Amino acid sequence: MHYISNDNFFKFLDKLKNTFNVFVPVKKDKQRFYKKYDTPREDIIIGEVRAFEPAKAFFSHAREIVAEGFKNTSPQMNKKPLAIVGVKACDLKGFKVQDHVFLNHDYKDPFYIRNRENNLIISADCTSAIDTCFCLAVGVTPYPEKDFDINLSSVEGGFIAETGSEKGKATIDAHANLFESVKTRAKSQKDEQRKKVTKDVERNIKENNVPRQESLKGIIEKNFESDIWKDEARACVECGACNTVCPTCHCFLLYDEKNKENLARLRIWDSCMIKDFARVAGGANPRAKLWMRLRNRFEKKFYYFPKVADFYACTGCGRCITACPAKIDIRKVLKRLVKGE
Amino acid sequence: MNNPYRPIKTEVLDVITETSNIKTLRLKPVEPIEFRAGQFIELTVPGVGEAPFTPSSRSSVKDMMEVTVMKVGKVTEKIHELKKGDTVGLRGPLGKGYPLEDFRNKEILVVGGGCGLAPLRALMYELFENIGDFKKVIYRGGCKTPQDFLYKKEINEWKKEHKSVDMRLTVDKGDPTWKENVGVVTTIMDGISMDCKNGIGIVCGPPIAMKYATMKLLDMGFQDENIYLSMEKNMSCGIGKCGHCRIGIYYACKDGPVFKYSQIKNYHEIWD
Repeated sequence: MHYISNDNFFKFLDKLKNTFNVFVPVKKDKQRFYKKYDTPREDIIIGEVRAFEPAKAFFSHAREIVAEGFKNTSPQMNKKPLAIVGVKACDLKGFKVQDHVFLNHDYKDPFYIRNRENNLIISADCTSAIDTCFCLAVGVTPYPEKDFDINLSSVEGGFIAETGSEKGKATIDAHANLFESVKTRAKSQKDEQRKKVTKDVERNIKENNVPRQESLKGIIEKNFESDIWKDEARACVECGACNTVCPTCHCFLLYDEKNKENLARLRIWDSCMIKDFARVAGGANPRAKLWMRLRNRFEKKFYYFPKVADFYACTGCGRCITACPAKIDIRKVLKRLVKGE
Repeated sequence: MNNPYRPIKTEVLDVITETSNIKTLRLKPVEPIEFRAGQFIELTVPGVGEAPFTPSSRSSVKDMMEVTVMKVGKVTEKIHELKKGDTVGLRGPLGKGYPLEDFRNKEILVVGGGCGLAPLRALMYELFENIGDFKKVIYRGGCKTPQDFLYKKEINEWKKEHKSVDMRLTVDKGDPTWKENVGVVTTIMDGISMDCKNGIGIVCGPPIAMKYATMKLLDMGFQDENIYLSMEKNMSCGIGKCGHCRIGIYYACKDGPVFKYSQIKNYHEIWD
């Protein structure tokens, strides 16, 4: 465990720039967005809550060329690996799901691997919760406990930095002059902060009656023929925003550019809420109705992933709640599924 | 690392018109693609897109393959315009085919309908080439009309060449030239003499035909785990990443497209 002052923290980021493309959360109005770090600025927010966009976008790009004609080229390494700073625990769980799909499950995806490997993940504790946060209900704490290289906890005048990997340890060792030993006062500030944010999220969960993940077992099988799906899908406008902002959604469309001179095959984020997602060329569509596609979205997260990977593919980040123009609220859907009505 | 999304440059060696809306393409990829019956490939028409097909040719021929394509959508329309000498792309082989080694010393009933006769042609070649390995092979094929019948001439040659194989054909609607059965494919599944309890049932065809043929096999006494279905889903990436072809805990592209009925019978939407 180390302490780094705010001034030294920016010096640290400046040093990291030599090896990495460094990204930090920057606050604009009430939201936080990832921006490439250039020089110290006041609106860089390491604490608070998750950024607007899911951090999966760093590795599974929204639009990416995966083949050019028949050329047998493997994906090129990025010029510089990424250092992503201020990643919250919900996005770390998102990485875990994406890793399962693209790195660990049967076949490997060279583009994801290229984007993912050699990166430095510097996560951070949440220091506040917004009313859509419900991470603790799905087993994610609002402060990272694993799956990071370095984790930062905001304390007075700076951060406590903990290492979670050899790479993180080596990174801190290489910049040892910027770090100090941790004072007891800072330690207790970190613990207090964690207690406070835990309380905030717990209050959210209680106020919204969000079911705990222990009660989610079997909710899809139990409610497969339920009217809950039709009822909840009624206002859906099929925009796919829930998929786009979700840190665990990974589906994509392979799309060939319609230009014979430049045969590029693109991979673009896709949405299972859109009518043609599962349609086959002959016209058959196993999920012709919107409510079937809503059910499928929940089935993927709360039936498929627990069966094949032993986790629910929900991070409790609440992005889909904010993004949905029809106000479909995953917390409410889960609550109804648990109750079966 | 190998790029799983890259198509291999492929020459169209020949285009054979099978029926009014079905053609067979003979394809020669510059890097040979070895497949086994039931596996599939993604065929790219440059500048148009990609679509999945199961090769219909002999898997023992390593340097070329045939795919039989019905004109139903954007990509297949362009495929039908292809001519000898054109260049296309191929990715594969993808997915899992028929586990022939599990069929050894068993009695096998193969039931096909319509376009499903294409993947089954590749399977029949494999069965014929190893016919001594199996106790009995029975073939039942159906199509809408005699004009729609894929490989009609070839199947009649099989009948002459492989007298030990019991083969019957049917059409939904006959014409004066048609001398065989008229009726859906389940009507020629009656009276089959075989050990259904331990037999292997293989079904490939349009969803509705698969559904009724499977029900028939179950009626006949076949076990769930001995019925093999070839599922048509929206297979795109072919390696279980893009998410389009999920059936329950499986992806048709990597865990199928050939599934045992026992694997998928409890999932909804399988016949849709």
